[in-house]
Amino acid sequence: MLDRTKPASCTLGEAMITQIASTIEDSIVAFHGFGSPLVQLALHLAKKTHAPHLVLVAGATYGVNPTPPFLAPTTNDWVMNRGAECHLDIEELFDLAASGRVGRMFLSGLQIDRWGNMNVTRVGRERLQLKLPGGGGGCNLSCDVQHVTIWTAAHRAAPDPKGRRRFRLVESCDFITNVGHRTAEGKTRSEMRYRGQGPDSIVTELGVFDFDGSGHARLAALYPDVDVAEVRENTGFEFPMREDLGLIPLPTPAMVEFIRALDPLRIHERELRPEERARSFSLQ
Amino acid sequence: MYTQADKRRDLPSLVAHIREGDCVAIGGGLSWREPMAALRELVRQQIKGLRLVGSAHGIDVDLLCGAGAVAVSAESYVGFEQDFGMAPNYRRACESGAVEVRDSCCYTLVQQLRAAIAGLPFMPIRSVRGTGFTHMHPDYKTMLCPYTGEELVLVPALQPDVSILHAQYGDAHGNLHIQGPPVTDILFSKASKKVIATVERIVPHEQLTEAGVTIPYFYVTALAEVPYGAHPTSCYPFYAYDRAHTADYYRCASDGADTFRNQYLRPYVYDCPSHADYLAAIGGDGVLKRLATWSQNSDAWMALYA
Repeated sequence: MLDRTKPASCTLGEAMITQIASTIEDSIVAFHGFGSPLVQLALHLAKKTHAPHLVLVAGATYGVNPTPPFLAPTTNDWVMNRGAECHLDIEELFDLAASGRVGRMFLSGLQIDRWGNMNVTRVGRERLQLKLPGGGGGCNLSCDVQHVTIWTAAHRAAPDPKGRRRFRLVESCDFITNVGHRTAEGKTRSEMRYRGQGPDSIVTELGVFDFDGSGHARLAALYPDVDVAEVRENTGFEFPMREDLGLIPLPTPAMVEFIRALDPLRIHERELRPEERARSFSLQ
Repeated sequence: MYTQADKRRDLPSLVAHIREGDCVAIGGGLSWREPMAALRELVRQQIKGLRLVGSAHGIDVDLLCGAGAVAVSAESYVGFEQDFGMAPNYRRACESGAVEVRDSCCYTLVQQLRAAIAGLPFMPIRSVRGTGFTHMHPDYKTMLCPYTGEELVLVPALQPDVSILHAQYGDAHGNLHIQGPPVTDILFSKASKKVIATVERIVPHEQLTEAGVTIPYFYVTALAEVPYGAHPTSCYPFYAYDRAHTADYYRCASDGADTFRNQYLRPYVYDCPSHADYLAAIGGDGVLKRLATWSQNSDAWMALYA
């Protein structure tokens, strides 16, 4: 018989995928964008485990419940919609969101602030210093979709030779591409009468935040090799912590095997910096 | 309405429908079915000052920016995803001020196209309020809904001067069949003043209707048969994404404007007066046959991306 030894450890990427998957409810419509392999894998993992009735809409192809043979390096590739039960038009997906029928979306940004606002458009308020790629449909979806999971694999902001840090989790965004819980003018989501309820978690490579009653990011859990001080020094704003702050639950060996089988090219590791790829956690 | 019986043209005459300063919508999305041969011809014809609108794009918009053909970008995303990263020529052009940044967002674009399709001056939208886009776009207005009292954003009708598409099949009359995700191509076609298309194969009308008409002929101004016209993006089932060529493109573009001009635009665009010359320059039959091996099995498909 073949030796089918179960994985004894998981990588950081696999732990992040599992954590993102845990934010996904069963029986909702959930959509991922492009350039987000961690999220693509998380959706497939959720559907395989706790959310079998998930309506999984693949970004770019708009295939519904696809069964890709492997993860492709780009999102609008026929690999990614193989086996899809049906396909949506671009307008159909966004109409579903605008009418309140998309349950969850996953968004990120080069800047993410304490209220969960995100910037994927530009760095530099007056003068354009860095043109970012743009947010795709994120602006619309951040207003309309019921719940948003924010993720980034680049929370860590190492100091430059002069000791300055360019934070990913920033005091405030230079431009708000995707809205969180407070607009630049300080208005709440209920004042804005958005369809959706906004972000309920930020999954990073250092830890996981939820949002408190005021819509402020709050540290909720850490990876086994990270402490609170490390999160604080890498975050551009002060944050509260949950009283039951604990460790992030790690995947089961079967979940790790599922992820490895679906991503043999390790496409998701392109979201991680080289030093983060080397992190792993024992599953014993 | 475009009702001529035979709309077949060669690639240079097709692209000559685009005028300097036009508002242009490019079909496809990311690494899928971009009308790259038409865009290379556009660069050779030195058509400039384009105002681009679109959803999620990559090498197509980046190439036009690197060739100095773009004046304004109202795209929603321009990049190479996790595969290679940010779009180097697009970034340089935006940051230098050569390209005016007027970013849009997918649903905003959809609603603007729908207004044009329906002949309405605008469409309402509930999102966008509270984001930076309201400041970037003084053309967006707000109103209180007379039925519910809630504040809505109004986005103006968007009628591109020309849409440039690449489809798998067309017939002489201009009917187009797109296999796989149409992305925004159908909305673009219905909203634009002109639609020009390259196709992998021009087939008899009966064969096209059997496959199904995705875009009816009367929207289509002209078409040209250009096999491999989407290369280096994919046009399944004919060929997969040419990741190796794209990596080479990205290296040239990242190295600076001069390298891009000398090591990419010159050998693959300016020195290739015809599409056949381009196909020879990228490696000819050997490369093209390999890109068709995706259909053998998953391992062959994956090997293209390893």
